[in-house]
Amino acid sequence: MTNYFYVSPEQLIKDRAEFAQKGIARGRSIVAAIYDPGVLMVAENPSASLNKISEVYDRIAFAGVGKYNEFDRLREAGIRWADSTGFTYSRDDVDARALANYYAQHLGDMFTEGQKPLEVEILVAQLGNKLRPTKLYRVAYEGTISDEPYFAVLGGDADTIKDRFALAESSPQSLQTTLRDAASALAGPDRVFVASDLEVCILEDRGKRRTFQRLSDEQVSELLS
Amino acid sequence: MGLPLFSAHGDPGPSFWHYADLAGINRATSDVSDNPHATTVIAVRYDEGVVMVGDRQATGNYIASRDVRKIEPADHYTALAISGSAARGIELLKIAQLSFEHYEKMTDSSLSLEGKANYLSPIIQRNNLTTPLGVLPLLAGWDRSNLRGRIFEYDGAGGCYERFDFATIGSGSPFADGALRLGYREDLDREGALQLGALALYEAGDNDPSTGGPDFVREIYPMMVVVSADGFQELDNDDIGERFRAINERRTQSRGVAGGSLR
Repeated sequence: MTNYFYVSPEQLIKDRAEFAQKGIARGRSIVAAIYDPGVLMVAENPSASLNKISEVYDRIAFAGVGKYNEFDRLREAGIRWADSTGFTYSRDDVDARALANYYAQHLGDMFTEGQKPLEVEILVAQLGNKLRPTKLYRVAYEGTISDEPYFAVLGGDADTIKDRFALAESSPQSLQTTLRDAASALAGPDRVFVASDLEVCILEDRGKRRTFQRLSDEQVSELLS
Repeated sequence: MGLPLFSAHGDPGPSFWHYADLAGINRATSDVSDNPHATTVIAVRYDEGVVMVGDRQATGNYIASRDVRKIEPADHYTALAISGSAARGIELLKIAQLSFEHYEKMTDSSLSLEGKANYLSPIIQRNNLTTPLGVLPLLAGWDRSNLRGRIFEYDGAGGCYERFDFATIGSGSPFADGALRLGYREDLDREGALQLGALALYEAGDNDPSTGGPDFVREIYPMMVVVSADGFQELDNDDIGERFRAINERRTQSRGVAGGSLR
């Protein structure tokens, strides 16, 4: 005879949340902040090819922390969703909020119904225009979606980094100031980052349709120095 | 449309066209044959790139439009021109532009020029073998690994062929081809290639009823494009107008014939 042990829903959720949090805490963090006049995303990432930040559409970027294979699949799905929505309707109809909602639904489903919850936390950033505002949508492992007013921190050490960044900045600054504040918030008091430790991407209007730009090590060095 | 997630073995990879097939975004083919078409587009290689010249007229039973853009940037280093069915041609342009950008975003690297040329083959093949709305593109671009301009033309079954001198598509091709065969030299520079391209298009517009030559009344002139290490660049309308007015002037003096020389 098989014995079934009763596990209360509260305990089940708690176990799953702990599992996901542990996975996410193992990875390094990301700071995203609105600057004047764009959106900056900075990841602590010593790899130059395994990216955490990516272009999704003309004015939308993706950032993920946690298990690489899991957030990279979400990144690919986001690009596919954006390109096919723009192809079917119009480029103007691709909205970051809709994408963030799909991510939230998927992460929520995986958290409650999946074999295991996804060990990821993701960010969908949108550079505003006449149609839409500049936005940072943060989606947590269990599907909680939050609309961050000015900056967002993803990853294990998020709360500490958040406090450090908030202390340095309280309103949008220039790209250089924001990058320096983000880098030192990520580094903490005991470390100093050089360009090759960081992955830095921005969304900024440069008179072209596509606003995403990956900054080179030289560009980052120049801004940090 | 939900979030398009795939398992590792069913994943369509960075190809938008293959994904679109799986997702049912690609449209079904039809057999309507009353479609505007007919064209002349020319591509000429020169020492530091490729020049493309294309007429602006869409022709059905009558002139459907006088200001169609038949050459578009497929990406920063690639120009794509279309001939045949306008509907399918524009769709092909859209698919190509989207696919190259999609690949770039998915993989964080851009396709090689040859990769872009080969990518279009099965798309053309399937379109042309399943519908009478045939479409034939012409692809020209700057090859960033070999540092030269390259031209790729296609046949109706999707075959992709590299041309090392020049290529033409559309109903006005025989006339443009004649002028190019007489005027092409291996040491053409940018200006020489632009002049030869304009002359070849003038010839096509002069002889083919479905190719629109320079329209001095409306100031609508053929498109002239250069693709080089600096990327895709379009000549402005005044510049193009001057070039065609000069050819027209010479033709007026010699009463409509080339007048014994290639001019």
